[in-house]
Amino acid sequence: MLDITNIISAVLKGDEPEVKLLVLEAISTGEKAGDIMNKGLIAGMDEVGKKMEAEDMFIPEVLMSARAMNSGAQILKPHLTEEDSGGIGVLVIGTVQGDQHDIGKNLVKMLMEGAGFEVVDLGTDVDPHKFVSAVRDNNATILAMSALLTTTMPMMADVISALNSEGLRDRVKVLVGGAPVTEEFSDEIGADGYGPDAGSAVRIAKTLISGEV
Amino acid sequence: MASICSNEQALNSPFAKKLADEQCQKIYWACLEILERTGVCLYDQDAVDILKKAGAYVTNGNRVRIPSGMVEKAFSTVPKNLSLYDRMGNRVMQVGGYRSYFGTGSDCLNIIDHRTGERRQAVLQDITEGMTVCDSLDHIDFVMSMFLPSDVPQERLDRYEMEVMLNNTTKPIIYVTTEFSGCADAVKMAEIVAGGEDTLRCRPFAACYINVTTGLRHNEEALQKLLYLSEKGLPFTYIPSAQGGVTAPITIAGTMAVNYAGVLTGLVLSQLKREGAPFIMPGWGGNMLDMKTMVQPYADPQKRAQSIDFVHYLGLPMFSLAGCSESKLVDQQAAIEAALTLFTDALFGGNLVHDVGYLESGLCGSLPQVVICNEILDWLSAFMKGIEINDETLALDLIDEVGPDGQYLDNPHTLKHFKERWYPKLFDRSNYNGWKSKGGKSLGKRASESVDQILAEHKPEPLPKDVADAVHAIVVEN
Repeated sequence: MLDITNIISAVLKGDEPEVKLLVLEAISTGEKAGDIMNKGLIAGMDEVGKKMEAEDMFIPEVLMSARAMNSGAQILKPHLTEEDSGGIGVLVIGTVQGDQHDIGKNLVKMLMEGAGFEVVDLGTDVDPHKFVSAVRDNNATILAMSALLTTTMPMMADVISALNSEGLRDRVKVLVGGAPVTEEFSDEIGADGYGPDAGSAVRIAKTLISGEV
Repeated sequence: MASICSNEQALNSPFAKKLADEQCQKIYWACLEILERTGVCLYDQDAVDILKKAGAYVTNGNRVRIPSGMVEKAFSTVPKNLSLYDRMGNRVMQVGGYRSYFGTGSDCLNIIDHRTGERRQAVLQDITEGMTVCDSLDHIDFVMSMFLPSDVPQERLDRYEMEVMLNNTTKPIIYVTTEFSGCADAVKMAEIVAGGEDTLRCRPFAACYINVTTGLRHNEEALQKLLYLSEKGLPFTYIPSAQGGVTAPITIAGTMAVNYAGVLTGLVLSQLKREGAPFIMPGWGGNMLDMKTMVQPYADPQKRAQSIDFVHYLGLPMFSLAGCSESKLVDQQAAIEAALTLFTDALFGGNLVHDVGYLESGLCGSLPQVVICNEILDWLSAFMKGIEINDETLALDLIDEVGPDGQYLDNPHTLKHFKERWYPKLFDRSNYNGWKSKGGKSLGKRASESVDQILAEHKPEPLPKDVADAVHAIVVEN
């Protein structure tokens, strides 16, 4: 039987070599790759996410965990079946047009990868049409947008109307965040979720996709 | 342990000074003139006799004038640095120089009960809880009783205080007793705990706080305690309480001169009784009574710092005072006065800094206020450290490697060093939503919850049963 707790605690410690070793061991003893992924690596990052939100972990430590998780996932990749190889979904992320701030966006990106999302990063100052095409081309489950300025925040609404006019709005969940963004603003522009910080953004993203099933 | 040391890296770490050496010399000479010209009144015959025998001039039975040479001689035998130990015999404090250690005050009549928010008379259980909290806090280095228990026989309350301190913390203790016999009993208890008279002298974990009537008028109990402890070679503070405008001139220099003339009288007596006896001076001076309210202000900006400079000039270990407030509540004034006074003592290098957590000018205490002060001291511990500037900390190769568009969040250099930065434990840095989701609580509320958590979880190392019994026998002895 797969000793999940070892993988979970190695991910929590951010111990990359240990995570790799444990994943290899689990594979060689014939564990199901899907189980190693979901009950080990992703479960470990769930714990990390909870600790981060509770401010029990420092961001650099969280990123160590995310890196360890990703290394484990790379080893697992060839062993995953068609069914479980897609991870938990594709997430397109970017900072809206007119805005160059990317500290928060990058942090969310790294944490989303750690949580098991396949992330397409469009960078900063992203044109609404670029968001729309990325959603279409990658068959994205989630579109995550960031803005740090009150002057660029309204661009989020423009992206949502662009999704609407292209008939893509129903296929993707929209997640927004950034210092000036509030729950009220998120509701007002018709986004599906708002993350007040990077940790909760991951939690909300996961809720959004599980709600879909 | 706060591990605060002013001027730790000479001229490369925070340090402050208010008096020049020449000014300190003027005050010192003023003290010498007061002792020679005006003299002091000592209400203890032994003390008078000892001074007379050594060359002091005595009139009217107890008016003693002390020649400067006697003071100068005392400086040549008194220790300039004092080691204090914990209850287990580990050396935990080097009192002297610019090192700062922090502890509570003693004997507050009242407490703001953190469970009800009400101000009430203090009881023995409050001391038990106070000691438990202090035992768990990183930056409370020594303890005093905090409260005056109203629910024990008043003539023996100092024994009860000592017992509760011994039972509930291993940190060094500064005890206060009313009568002389209480002092002798406290020493007996400490000797039992240390395992004998010599062990306590070699590894003192307790010091007596002796209060003296005024600078030039010394009460019998204070003098008896001084002579007794000096003979035993046990540490004590000798603190005359000259009040500017009432028992000394209202001016800072005048009050200081009168007060330290009294301190120097104690110093001379201690060294006459036993050369090399440890002696701790007060590190505040220029006390006043508020000329509107007659309250003695503890957080007064003008009574601090100059005396720390003065005692550094004299080169002796000092007992100082900070972390206290005039406020009646654990409120904004309490936090501000606590922070400013602690900051001052850290910068100037006060040694044994007591009264942390005092409210209402020494009449009321609060456990959450002590927890808040502990956080202030954590902040100060970080602030007082010098900055390392070298290849590793400048990280020029890294800066070039990461480049203008890169980021450092998951870089090994960040991982290696991020814990060197300061992170609060009680102060809140969350964003608004994070703060709100944790209950949206004020500092006072968080400090109060922290007290509850400590009291539920922290178990101080108890005294061995036979030792605790022997200590208790002294408390209840008739």
